[in-house]
Amino acid sequence: MTAIINRRPAEGDRPAIVYRAAGDRHVLVEYGEMALDLELNFFVTAVTAHLAEHPVPGLVEAAPGFRSLLLHHEPAIIDRKALIDAVDEAHRAQRSVRSLVLPSRLITLPIAFDDSESREAVRRYATTIRQEAPNIRDNSNIDYIVEYNGLSGRDALYAAVTGTEWWNAYTGFFPGLPFMFPLDPRNAITVPKYNPTRTWTAEGAVGIGGPCVAIYPVEAPGGYQLFGRTVPVYDVLARHEVFRDDPILIRPGDRVRFEPVSEDQLLAARRDVLENRYEYVIENDQFSVTDYLARAAEVRAEADTLRSAREAAAARTEVP
Amino acid sequence: MTDSHAVFDIVMPGLQTLVQDYPGRRGLQSKGFFPSGPMDHVSFRIANALVGNEPGAPALEIPMGRLTLRALAETWVAVTGAEGSGLRLNSRPMPLGETVRVVPGDEIACSIVKGPGFRLYLAVAGGIDVPMVMGSRATYTMGGIGGVEGRALVKGDVLRARAVTAPPPRLRVPASLRPALANLWEVEVMRGPHADPDFLTEQDWKDLVGREWKVDLNSNRVGTRLESHRFQWARPSGGVAGGHPSNVLDGSYPIGGINTNGDVPVILGPDGPTAGGFTVIAAVVQAGLWKVGQLRPGRDLIRFREVSLDEALALAARVDYTTDPHHYEEL
Repeated sequence: MTAIINRRPAEGDRPAIVYRAAGDRHVLVEYGEMALDLELNFFVTAVTAHLAEHPVPGLVEAAPGFRSLLLHHEPAIIDRKALIDAVDEAHRAQRSVRSLVLPSRLITLPIAFDDSESREAVRRYATTIRQEAPNIRDNSNIDYIVEYNGLSGRDALYAAVTGTEWWNAYTGFFPGLPFMFPLDPRNAITVPKYNPTRTWTAEGAVGIGGPCVAIYPVEAPGGYQLFGRTVPVYDVLARHEVFRDDPILIRPGDRVRFEPVSEDQLLAARRDVLENRYEYVIENDQFSVTDYLARAAEVRAEADTLRSAREAAAARTEVP
Repeated sequence: MTDSHAVFDIVMPGLQTLVQDYPGRRGLQSKGFFPSGPMDHVSFRIANALVGNEPGAPALEIPMGRLTLRALAETWVAVTGAEGSGLRLNSRPMPLGETVRVVPGDEIACSIVKGPGFRLYLAVAGGIDVPMVMGSRATYTMGGIGGVEGRALVKGDVLRARAVTAPPPRLRVPASLRPALANLWEVEVMRGPHADPDFLTEQDWKDLVGREWKVDLNSNRVGTRLESHRFQWARPSGGVAGGHPSNVLDGSYPIGGINTNGDVPVILGPDGPTAGGFTVIAAVVQAGLWKVGQLRPGRDLIRFREVSLDEALALAARVDYTTDPHHYEEL
């Protein structure tokens, strides 16, 4: 037996597709190669939308990933083969993602770098789970992220985080956690995840795992390297009106921009959220894949040079 | 609430007693919600069947025991799941797996579960009446929703049940249909999306299914942690997803997936993370998931057995058969 059930070669603008078994109720569909290629995510977004508009009986849900879709199905209603046939049809119906224009809001969030709650999560991990982890220095992951990417120092890391818009590729982990990737490829930093994971992370903590930046929506376990904290992005009690229609702030296809603040300013903002006084900065906007690709192409050479330097630094750095 | 009545007063809430329903809050994985619901869905459904409910009706999940409740009305209850809890009705032993009538003032109590097994389920005729939240009544404590105010029960909670028109028939689950509890468990798995050949080596897979795994004390509804194990891995690194070969570009996880957090395998539970950037090397099949709910943290051992898709589906049908009250004995 093997994990791979089926393969479809790339065709035109459509990426190669691999169907992988994931138990008796799930199939994982992977697109393209394991690379930080946002076009793959745009393709996932388009297929997800297609399946929502053309429901497949017995398909409980198609849950997206960065470059994948997890198909949860009821085998009594649709068997694996019929499921794959139905999803193949959704793939065939796709046109090139390069001309897509998607609804996308731009959300500006404050961030306090190296805040005390993130340090507390790291400290607890060092105390109770793994003391001598290479990704921990002085109860912080920040210097490890800096070293792994060969950055000149903490300020260079903070500039990488605040210097780009972050694309929310999809939502998951715990309710409302955005999995975000940099829209400026020059800002693509990467870092290994924890080994093993933390059992506690503060709500609002911001971290990075691989090339992906996430905001912890609730107190949760976690495996990302932490570097800061922001305001709440999930509230089922809707204490702030921004959560009135949906407890989740950041939707797939939204973009986030981080603005640095001091920890005192952040704590004040967090108090204001609870009292419904804080002003979330949200602009309704659109996202044009054509424009994105044009901008990415302009800086490609520079991004490639930066990436090579970062990969060289990574090769010199211990992995947890 | 005219069609419901107060049935229980919680005298002692236990460690983390939760109202659950089955199959829980489905179809919201893309918002970050796993379904919640009972960890042992078989014992849960059997308890409901014994009191004439739909198999998925809201009922209690009682990890580790230590619950005491007082009946506030005449009704019918059934308790299933872990053994060795000293379950009693008014200080007299109360049977597992049977319909039991209670009257106002009756006290149902259990002590700390000695095992085998870890979770008890208590169903009441009509099903526990709690509000529907996002399509389900299941409690999800991390998200703060479902059940009683999104939290575990506390002393003094009063639970209501939906009214029933007639007493349910008194039933008993025959021994042949009772889930077999153990201390060394054989859990059925299939290969996960990141098994061999491109993530694990063939030898890694043999290691996974060939050895006994101890259940870590730090296990709960989010995940069941196993011991740390260095797999060989078929690739030297996770590349852009992070230096460790267990790292992948983030994607959605299957419930019951065996997720490698670096070197520590974790079986994803019903409140678990719905997505992330670690490989899923295997998945517990539907028919085997209930066993994960009965594992005793810090003590029990697991052996994984690989099954084919056809065997997994046949086993699921067999599990469904045990939850059908037509096959129970009438008392």
